[in-house]
Amino acid sequence: SGPATPPDISDKMSESIDKAKEACAEDTASGKCAAAWDEVEELSAAASHARDKLKETSDPLEAYCKDNPETDECRTYDN
Amino acid sequence: MAARSFSSASTTTILLRSGRWRRTMRAAAFPFRVSCSAAAGGTVVIGLAADSGCGKTTFVRRLTSVLGAGTAVAAAPPWGGNPGSNTLLGDAATVICLDDYHSLDRAGRKERGVTALDPRANDFDLMYRQLKAIKEGRAVAKPIYNHATGLLDPPELITPPKILVVEGLHPMYDERVRGLLDFSIYLDISSDIKFAWKIQRDMAERGHSLESIKASIEARKPDFDAYIDPQKQYADAVIEVLPTRLIAAADDDGDEGKVLRVKLIMKEGVEHFAPAYLFDEGSTISWIPCGRKLSCSYPGIKFSYFPDTYFGHEVSVLEMDGKFDKLDELIYVESHLSNLSTKYYGEVTQQMLKHADFPGSNNGTGLFQTIVGLKIRDLYEQVVAERAASPPALAAVA
Repeated sequence: SGPATPPDISDKMSESIDKAKEACAEDTASGKCAAAWDEVEELSAAASHARDKLKETSDPLEAYCKDNPETDECRTYDN
Repeated sequence: MAARSFSSASTTTILLRSGRWRRTMRAAAFPFRVSCSAAAGGTVVIGLAADSGCGKTTFVRRLTSVLGAGTAVAAAPPWGGNPGSNTLLGDAATVICLDDYHSLDRAGRKERGVTALDPRANDFDLMYRQLKAIKEGRAVAKPIYNHATGLLDPPELITPPKILVVEGLHPMYDERVRGLLDFSIYLDISSDIKFAWKIQRDMAERGHSLESIKASIEARKPDFDAYIDPQKQYADAVIEVLPTRLIAAADDDGDEGKVLRVKLIMKEGVEHFAPAYLFDEGSTISWIPCGRKLSCSYPGIKFSYFPDTYFGHEVSVLEMDGKFDKLDELIYVESHLSNLSTKYYGEVTQQMLKHADFPGSNNGTGLFQTIVGLKIRDLYEQVVAERAASPPALAAVA
């Protein structure tokens, strides 16, 4: 399933869901309600992007080699 | 990608990469950045429209991979700038996200009760001015909309690339911006599939449930129908993603969104864009490639090709329903498609294999995105050749 969402975005996300439910309690057709759910959508997208980014750096060797390209286990020569 | 381009001395790059360099960006303080300077041919602008969570990112990754042939460097965000930047720099293409042109930040939209889909939340004047400037070969300082904080950050410098891809909710909304696009694509995801994809994406999120995902889609729908969906009539190519027809709805055991029917709708008569076809151009063909030469498991694969009309335009439609089991067998399908704008036999298959881990690599979404990517490369080459043949009257004399 891959890495978990970073906690800061994850917290914002569940907060915005609660707020959206609140905003829509009175009137589900109001702009306020749509805007609140739109914020949830934006944060979901941001969370998924953050997870993708973590996936890219999930290889421990790759992460190490980014910082230490000159070490034995990281050196690559094209020819 | 950035580090490589500065110098070959790795000590320098490490020093530069330590991150101390980050500072607030003011016009004077732009760190020197890597970017492809526009060739003499000027910039070709490609528009990509889709709703949030509909696979724009995957498409952009496939596209930059096709366009950036010849290097191992993947598209990366601008080096040394704002970590919240949405821009991607490849060696041939720069991708900018149109969310950067929000006129209202998250709090502002909330206050007025408008969504990001609403044109009132976006600054089309600035979008037009800056895209026009880039197309004319001038660098611009483009704002950054930070998705994590919901704030508009100080601008970043965008220099004219060979190919500029603008992706977002409204690339074809404003008539002036539309006029700047050399080619436009719309990703049209049907509601059932959109729902399935969002469940896959968000179900793991704390506090998000089936109900709240549904509520979010429902609440945004009126604005989506009013402002985003109508843009597809202007697109040169539309990729439609629909539920499969190979499995009867009755025995569909919650596989919603796993098997897809994908249509590539290509406008006829667009300059520099010759639609791809199957077997015989202009015929209506239905083809099941499964048999001795291609092993398919349930529910199999079915291709269709036919002429059609789309919002009053003549179009050619390629359709693929089902999924591949073994990606390398795609070569069998590729060899029966024509007008793919490949540079060598098997290029589509090779591009798909290169990114086998991307979503959609075993179905029509990946196949058609790759084909559109090759078409865009071809269009770019034609446009550049044309401009070289007839230099503009105002060509700068060196």
